[in-house]
Amino acid sequence: MNIFEYSIFEYFLKPGSFDVLVNIIIILVKIAIVLGVVMFHVAYATYFERKTIGRMQVRMGPMEVGPHGLLQPIADMLKLFFKEDIIPEKADKTIFYIAPIVSLMAAMSSLAVIPFYKDFAVANINIGLLFILAMSSLGSYGIILSGWSSDSKYAFLGGLRSSAQVLSYEIAMALSLVGVMMMAGSLNMNEIVKAQAEYPTGLYLIPQIIGFFVFVVAALAETNRTPFDLPEAESELVAGYFVEYSGMRFALFYVAEYVGMIIMGCLAATCYFGGWTIPWYIIKILPFLKYVPGVVWFTLKVYFVVFCYYWIRATVPRYRYDQLMSIGWKLLIPLALANIAITGIIKVMVK
Amino acid sequence: MTVQEFFRKIFFIEILKGLSLTLSRLFTKPVTRRYPKQKRPAALGFRGLHALVRNPATGDVKCVGCGLCAAICPSRCIYIYTSEGPEHQKIVDRYEIEVLRCVYCAFCVEACPFGAIVLTPHYEYANYRREDFYMTKEKLLENWDKYMGDKGLDYFDKFWNPKSSHFTTPEGQAVWRHKDG
Repeated sequence: MNIFEYSIFEYFLKPGSFDVLVNIIIILVKIAIVLGVVMFHVAYATYFERKTIGRMQVRMGPMEVGPHGLLQPIADMLKLFFKEDIIPEKADKTIFYIAPIVSLMAAMSSLAVIPFYKDFAVANINIGLLFILAMSSLGSYGIILSGWSSDSKYAFLGGLRSSAQVLSYEIAMALSLVGVMMMAGSLNMNEIVKAQAEYPTGLYLIPQIIGFFVFVVAALAETNRTPFDLPEAESELVAGYFVEYSGMRFALFYVAEYVGMIIMGCLAATCYFGGWTIPWYIIKILPFLKYVPGVVWFTLKVYFVVFCYYWIRATVPRYRYDQLMSIGWKLLIPLALANIAITGIIKVMVK
Repeated sequence: MTVQEFFRKIFFIEILKGLSLTLSRLFTKPVTRRYPKQKRPAALGFRGLHALVRNPATGDVKCVGCGLCAAICPSRCIYIYTSEGPEHQKIVDRYEIEVLRCVYCAFCVEACPFGAIVLTPHYEYANYRREDFYMTKEKLLENWDKYMGDKGLDYFDKFWNPKSSHFTTPEGQAVWRHKDG
């Protein structure tokens, strides 16, 4: 069959292809819903961050735009949208254009596999967890490319630091999640949540506390947040890898960072807090809670993790680079490996 | 390494302490003053914009043109021009202050034997034009009416000739107050 004679319209006109069309439309609607909700959350995550950190520092945070500064994210967005887009003269233009898109793409595509509700995921694939790990490390491509193409020492150093950091911490993160995979016996995010609901404690946080600790620290480092925000250390590198970016391109990086944070929140909620379910013993004590839709529990868990991000940012100062590396390689990876060993032994013994 | 130190290290006691501190601060009231909306009253004797005291009897300046203020001014920003009147008295024709050069030491206020010049508590006079900072006699008198007016007597009485009853801490000022009082 000649591929050029075979148009996509003919494909849909064939009998039985109607289901495919419906499926595509359903997926598109799902994508639209997920993107809309997540972008709204990203906008208000910035507001929430400024407000939380402000209050923790006994300040007020944004107050001027709208009641209690509620319209601040919209004002920020408009400002970034209309700002002049400056491109450095000696920058590698093509890569300079691509880098923020790579960054955002890597962050956004992880959203596809996250089950926000029972069987509600854009793509319910069997390697969901692996996909997220792959995509979150792909995000460092955007950072390295932006740092390299900007032709700025600060940006370049930021990019280098980020690549080294993400490489070392994604090992720890993947290993910490191996414990969860072993307990659930699956890489499918839906299956992981369902396995947790059947587990005696209702969530994997209790048996996997070591893994959770490793995961939280690695997630902080993976998303370049304080205390591991060396790639964008203001005091040393001005702003790190995106110094030369302005306007909408800068906004893309910003959005990618916050989406990454929300992804980590979703991952923690799915793998350790039981996703859209709540433990059975809570339902036993307060039976009316079972009428609350699962997506509420899921978002609450994500909000909690995101709040912890801000909480840590308001508290802990930045680590030195050698400290960062020694925490990653000498503490987190051995801990994660020990966690895997213990989980395996217990699993075999219980069986 | 003692057992205690070991536990401190394993459970990140220091970081947990810090986290609890920030969390407790989350529920306190912010100390922010939202400035343009919520102005802080200036304390008595605040050295703000200059003014010439209007003599209630004549409606003109109290100043007699002796030039002591101009003499003591460390930045030399006061210019006084006088002439001789019909009854051989001294008339102050022009009394001008270059506000941008002033250092707000209030030596002029101290030096004046008639209490004729003051620094008002008014401090919001940022402007885009330099000319507006060159204060003539009329402007300075206007400043008195606007910013000192009825408070003027209070100012001279309490700040430059204070009694013991005036020595209390202003309400808005941050001070260390002893537990007993």
